[in-house]
Amino acid sequence: MTTVNWWKTLRAVPSWVYPATLGVFLLVLPALQPGYSVTRQVELTLILALIVSGLNLSLGYAGQLAIGQVAMYAAGAYTAGIIAVAGVTDILVQLLAAGLAALVVGIVTGIPGLRLGSWSLAMTSFFLVLLVPDIVSIFEEHTGGQLGLSGIPGATLLGFELTPTHFYLTVVTVTILWFAAFRNIIASRHGIAFQVLKQSPVLASSVGMSVFRVKLSGYATGAIPAGLAGALFANLDLFVSLEAFGFHVATGALAASILGGSVSVYGAVLGAAVVEYASSQSDSFQEYSLVFFGLFLLIGGVLMSGGVAGVARTFVARLDRAAGLAGRGPSKAGDGEAIHRIEGGLLDATGVSKAFGGNQVLTDVSLRAEPGRVTALIGPNGSGKTTLLNLVCGYYRRDAGEITLDGTPIRTAATHRIARLGVARTFQTPLIPPGITVRDVVASGRYTVEGTSFAGAILRTPRFRAIQRRDRQRADEMLRLVGLEDVADTEAATLPLGMRRMLEVARALVAEPKVLLLDEAASGLDEGEVETLAGVIRRIRDAGCTIILVEHNFGLVLSLADEIVVLARGSVLASGTPSDIANDPRVRDEYLGASDADVRPDDSVTEPAARQETP
Amino acid sequence: MTLIYAGLSLGAVYALVAIGYNIVFVASRSFNFAQAQLMMIGAFVAYTGHVTLGLPAIVVVALAMVVVMLVAAILERVAVRPVADHQTQLITTLGFGTVLTGLAQLIWGSQPLDVPFFGAKEAMTLFGGRLYSFELGLIVLSVVLVAVIHLYNRRMMSGLAIVAMSQDDEAAVLRGINVRKLAFAAFAITGLLAGLMGFFIGPKTFAVATLGSALALKGFVALAIGGFGSFYGGLVGGFVVGLVEEHAARYLGSEFSNLSVFLILILVLMLRPTGLFGQTQERTV
Repeated sequence: MTTVNWWKTLRAVPSWVYPATLGVFLLVLPALQPGYSVTRQVELTLILALIVSGLNLSLGYAGQLAIGQVAMYAAGAYTAGIIAVAGVTDILVQLLAAGLAALVVGIVTGIPGLRLGSWSLAMTSFFLVLLVPDIVSIFEEHTGGQLGLSGIPGATLLGFELTPTHFYLTVVTVTILWFAAFRNIIASRHGIAFQVLKQSPVLASSVGMSVFRVKLSGYATGAIPAGLAGALFANLDLFVSLEAFGFHVATGALAASILGGSVSVYGAVLGAAVVEYASSQSDSFQEYSLVFFGLFLLIGGVLMSGGVAGVARTFVARLDRAAGLAGRGPSKAGDGEAIHRIEGGLLDATGVSKAFGGNQVLTDVSLRAEPGRVTALIGPNGSGKTTLLNLVCGYYRRDAGEITLDGTPIRTAATHRIARLGVARTFQTPLIPPGITVRDVVASGRYTVEGTSFAGAILRTPRFRAIQRRDRQRADEMLRLVGLEDVADTEAATLPLGMRRMLEVARALVAEPKVLLLDEAASGLDEGEVETLAGVIRRIRDAGCTIILVEHNFGLVLSLADEIVVLARGSVLASGTPSDIANDPRVRDEYLGASDADVRPDDSVTEPAARQETP
Repeated sequence: MTLIYAGLSLGAVYALVAIGYNIVFVASRSFNFAQAQLMMIGAFVAYTGHVTLGLPAIVVVALAMVVVMLVAAILERVAVRPVADHQTQLITTLGFGTVLTGLAQLIWGSQPLDVPFFGAKEAMTLFGGRLYSFELGLIVLSVVLVAVIHLYNRRMMSGLAIVAMSQDDEAAVLRGINVRKLAFAAFAITGLLAGLMGFFIGPKTFAVATLGSALALKGFVALAIGGFGSFYGGLVGGFVVGLVEEHAARYLGSEFSNLSVFLILILVLMLRPTGLFGQTQERTV
């Protein structure tokens, strides 16, 4: 009981207090007279931690294996060193220049590298490390080539020369500021966007994120701390040589990232501390270091996908549960929550055709979905329902036909652009990113509503705070609507299927789309859940939204839909009101799997009532 | 002409790396970051067999092939099979490759070792250019390997099975293809070939522990130029990289050779991200 209370007290403290305490401790460390070797060790660790945090941002959050952080580190170090030799000794100017140089390297190499999946970025960035010595020797007169860049004057700050202690404080301060900025990025919708993207680019683009831009922003931003680290490194020994930027260092940084936990902010400090401490211990470690770094990567990749930070998180969650801090089970779907009026859009698809290779999936399909109405799309498996949705969303290019939203043609544009026009969807298999809460999943649907910049997130501007508040507010409203408000703080991926489907509906709805596409939203749900879902769909319709429902549950479709389109073998078999469709003999045949020849001709005449009940 | 021979034989080395990448890629859709390190181990084993133990060439080849095949089998078991997603496989195979580099440094030191080749020591003259027997051997080996693999994939049942697997492994399982066994076999075969390749590349590149990273990168550029999964593409890509590298080194200076290869990589990725012989695929939800 006492441990539980003790834990509760500990958890009542805001989580940023712990790293802040470490920061303050490092700042007052010189007063304790720890000696040269300790402060140097701390400086080297923090410089490595900066590099590793950049890796975490691109590898852990943006999901891109980029090994070129060391090249950006080199760019920062040489930039700072060269301008210092030229007479610019102010550390602030040097940091700025080094950060910019690294950012440029990041953007220039990120653009081509990100175009072709994960390996190309890994390779192009890895290639950068190979290029460092070549570029250094091409500009030998400035960089000192193989001999190294020497003669760097001591750093100054606003005209005052920095003593070693001052410089130590500079390193600590820069690191603290960067980590605060890093933490602010991660604890914003940009951080959530990274997690969404990592889980599924398909999902990310369906909520309007440009996959390429989000990846590039993560990778390029990750270059900045490496540049800062370079500037600090150049001023540490006032000497820059090629040895500091080899593959050895690159692998060490990657090992530190994996070890500390790539998907974490402060894991970088921990991983860097371990790697730096081990490297400094003895010369014999140097000899074995590659083997150890390799083993770190191997074991880290296989066993602990979250690194030390991941293990710590699991532990915290377990203690939270023991102490009763975690949320409780779900409640019934909220009936009280009123939905804002939604301006639905008229979605009109005419003559749409699509073939995969020689397989004609859709032939001349037309569909018209009006605001404030549920248009159901039904048909046997393989009749092209999901393909049609994917064509609307832009996942596939259509071969022929026209799709318009409120009269504006939706070209075969990028998916995220179509999403931004106001087309939201759910998926047959719910796509819920791991590691984020139910509320954040819903909030991620608002990524394109009211844009915020990285700078806004870092500085926590009033505008950013207001948007963040609205994100939260709107997410909570949606959760009340679908009856998930009691699990808002639970990790979303742990929810059972029925709740994950509801969560997807909430996420699709939070941006107030003109058109909502529900892909088999009721499959796998029990009767009570189907009932709840039907209620929610009716209320969304009544709020004015255009709904397209792909569904196999014929009973549900008949009770919900205002208009039904039946697809069979890629063409429209019939369309009309539920009663039209329920009485259409061809639809019944298609659903019974019986062809006209199998059915006795008098069947439909003599036993219409019996056939009514077959679904 | 001599310059072209040098470029082609260097390119053959990269083409061989690309072949290794492609076999694994076609069989399991994953990328084996440790491929070049396997070849490096092959070159070191060839050195040990030839120089230290004084074995005849044919025994050295067999020894290199068997040793590297075992290493590749361990790689599959340790770094590939336990890891589900391809992104993490990049990290684990990179880790395995790093371990191999570290071990090679510990066992054979960090000085480059000269691996002998059978045949004449002197360069021969052919069409007005000079080339060594091992350079000719490299070019022939890469062309023959690509042709054989291509025929194998088209004609043999297991080759077709591998191609089927690369298209859709779930469907392949339903057709009664043992996907895991074939993926394992693909790794073992790449190991076997990497041992053979190591024997051939050793005389050209020397056996040195840092060989891995440079080969891995240039091999990747060859792959990117040719297109993922295309064996002929990898061969052409390899030759392009080798020729560009040699010409840049000759006319611009050695510090420009890597840079020009990098520029080609960037150009290919920007202009034709699927490579010259690659296919585009539509995304699925």
